Amino acid sequence: MSLLTLENVGKSYGRLEAVSGLEFSVDKGTVHSLIGPNGAGKTTVFNLITGTIRASCGRIVFDGEDITRLEPHKIAQRGIARSFQQTFLFMDYSVLDNVLTGFHMRDRAGVIREFLHTRAAREADERAREQALEIVDFMGLSEQKDELAGNLPHGHQRALGVSIALACDPTLLLMDEPVTGMNPTESNEMVERIRRIRDRGVTVLLVEHSMRVVMDISDMITVISYGKKIAQGLPDEIKHDPQVIEAYIGEDTDAA
Amino acid sequence: MKTGTDITKKLVFAVAVAVVLALPWMTGPYTTQLFILTMTYGMLGLSFAFTIRVGLPRFDSAAWWGVGAYTTAILMTKADMSFWLTLPIAGIVSMAVGFLIYRIAIPRGMMVFLMFGMVIALAIQQLFGSVEFFGGWGGTEVIEAPAIGGLVFDGKRELYYLGLGFLGFNLICYYALMRSRIGRSWNAIGQSVKLASSVGINVVRYRMANVLISNFFLALTGSFYMAFSLVAVPATFGLDKSLNVIMYVIIGGIAYSLLGPLVGALILAFVPEYMRVAAEYESIITAVVIILVVIFLPEGVLGWVSGRARPWLLRRRPWVRSVGSKNKEPESG
Repeated sequence: MSLLTLENVGKSYGRLEAVSGLEFSVDKGTVHSLIGPNGAGKTTVFNLITGTIRASCGRIVFDGEDITRLEPHKIAQRGIARSFQQTFLFMDYSVLDNVLTGFHMRDRAGVIREFLHTRAAREADERAREQALEIVDFMGLSEQKDELAGNLPHGHQRALGVSIALACDPTLLLMDEPVTGMNPTESNEMVERIRRIRDRGVTVLLVEHSMRVVMDISDMITVISYGKKIAQGLPDEIKHDPQVIEAYIGEDTDAA
Repeated sequence: MKTGTDITKKLVFAVAVAVVLALPWMTGPYTTQLFILTMTYGMLGLSFAFTIRVGLPRFDSAAWWGVGAYTTAILMTKADMSFWLTLPIAGIVSMAVGFLIYRIAIPRGMMVFLMFGMVIALAIQQLFGSVEFFGGWGGTEVIEAPAIGGLVFDGKRELYYLGLGFLGFNLICYYALMRSRIGRSWNAIGQSVKLASSVGINVVRYRMANVLISNFFLALTGSFYMAFSLVAVPATFGLDKSLNVIMYVIIGGIAYSLLGPLVGALILAFVPEYMRVAAEYESIITAVVIILVVIFLPEGVLGWVSGRARPWLLRRRPWVRSVGSKNKEPESG
C-alpha cells in the first residue's frame, strides 16, 4: 500500500527544469531510497514533498490527501518529518532541548496552562522529557544529552538531526544523506538504526550517496537523473540496470 | 537539597531587592527621576529583546510606546477616563493596529518586518504631529496624576514604586512566557526558521503572537510614561529612540533577555548624565559607546560579567551569543 505518491511532479526555475514529470510511490513500512548523480534533483524532491518549495505542476499525495500546496508546518503536522542534509540543529541548545523542540506538536497542555505553569503543563513537560530521553537513548546520544548541539562531533550531530525528526512522531521520515561524512563504524550504526526505525512502523524515504549503504538497506530504489526518473526496482535490479550504470559513469559510485 | 550556593544566591537576591526598594530614600529626586527613566527604557528594551527571540528586530518600539502614551493622554483628557482604565485600552489599541500592519509584514520574513518597522516608526510620529486631534508637534498634556484612593502618584518616590510595579509585571509575564513550551517554540524559530517549520511550528502565527505581546507591553510602558512626564510630544517617539532601545539590549547583552535590557538602560541613562556632556553631543557619545561595546564586549556587559562571576549568579539564555553570532543561518522565510 502506498503512503506517498508523486504524480507527474515538476519544478522549473524559468527555463531550467530541476524536476520534471516525476512519478513514484513509497510503500508503507519500507525503506525507499532515492538515488542519482550529483545535481539530479534529489534534495529538490525532498523540498517539494515537505513544502519548502512549491511544485510547478503535478500532485503529491500523502496518506490519501493532496499535500501539494500545503505550508511546511502543516505538512509536518500531517506526519512527515525530515532530517536535513546540512546539519540543521538548534546549535545553542543542549541535545535534550533540541529533541524537546521536536515535541512541539505532541501532548500540549494548552497555551494558558503553559503560561501559568499549571500542574497539567508541568506533567506534560515531564512526559515529553521522558519520551525525549528515550529517543536520545535510541539514537545513542544518552551520554551527550546535556552537551550543546554545536559542540558535538559531526556523526553525533547527524544522529541528533534524526532524533529531532523522530520527536515529531512521523509516519514518513525523509532522511537526506544520513551517513555522509561518517566513519564506517558510525555509518554501520546509523544503518542499523534506520532499520529499527522502519521496524517501529515508520516509513523511510532516503537520499544517500553511499551505494554500499543504499544497496544494503533499501527495500526499493528509485533512480533519478537530471530531474527525471530513469529506473526503479529492487537493489539487485538497480545494480545491474544499464541505464543506471551509464548515468553513474564518471561518478564515484562508492563515495563515503 | 540546601547547599551553600543556594543560600548565597538567596542572600544576594534579598539584598538586591532591598536596595531596589530603598533606592528613592537613598538618593535625591533628580537621581530618582533617572531611575524612573531607566525603568521605562528598560521596559522598552525588554520588548525588543522579546521579538529578537523569534528573529525579528524591531525598529518601531518607540512608535508603539507613543501609541500607548497618546492613547492614555487622549482618553484621560478627552474622555475623562481614569489612568488605570486607559492601560488595557492602550495595550489593546497597540495590538489591534499592530495586527493590521504585521499581518502583511510578518509572512514576508525578517527583512520586510524590519523595513516596515522603520516606516511605521516615521509614519506614527508624523501622525501624532500633523493630525490636529493629537495636539500637534507641541504635544498633548494631561493634568491629573494617577491615584488609588488617597495615594496620588505625583512625587518622584511614588512614581518610582509605580514604575517598579509596571516593571515587575513585565518581568513576570516575560519570564512565564519564556519558561513555557511556547517560549521553546519561539526560541526554535529564532535559531532556524527552516528547522522550526519542519517540526510543525507555524512560524507566522508564533511570530505574530510574539510581536503583538511585545506591542502590548510597549503601549503599557507608554501609559506609564504619561504618568510621570504628564506630556506626550511626538519628538519623543521617533526612530532615534527606537535605535536607542536596540542599544540598551546590545550593551546589556543580547543573550540576557530579562536582565540585559535593564543593565543597558541603566548605563545609557546614567553615563551621559555623569559625563556632564552637552545634549548635542549625547548621540556621539552613545555612538562611541556602542562601537566600543561591539568591539570589546560582544556579549554585552552581562556577558563580560558572567565570564568572571560564579555560574549561579548569571545564567545565559541559550542562544544568540553575541551581536554577530556566527551560528545563525541566514533568514529564509
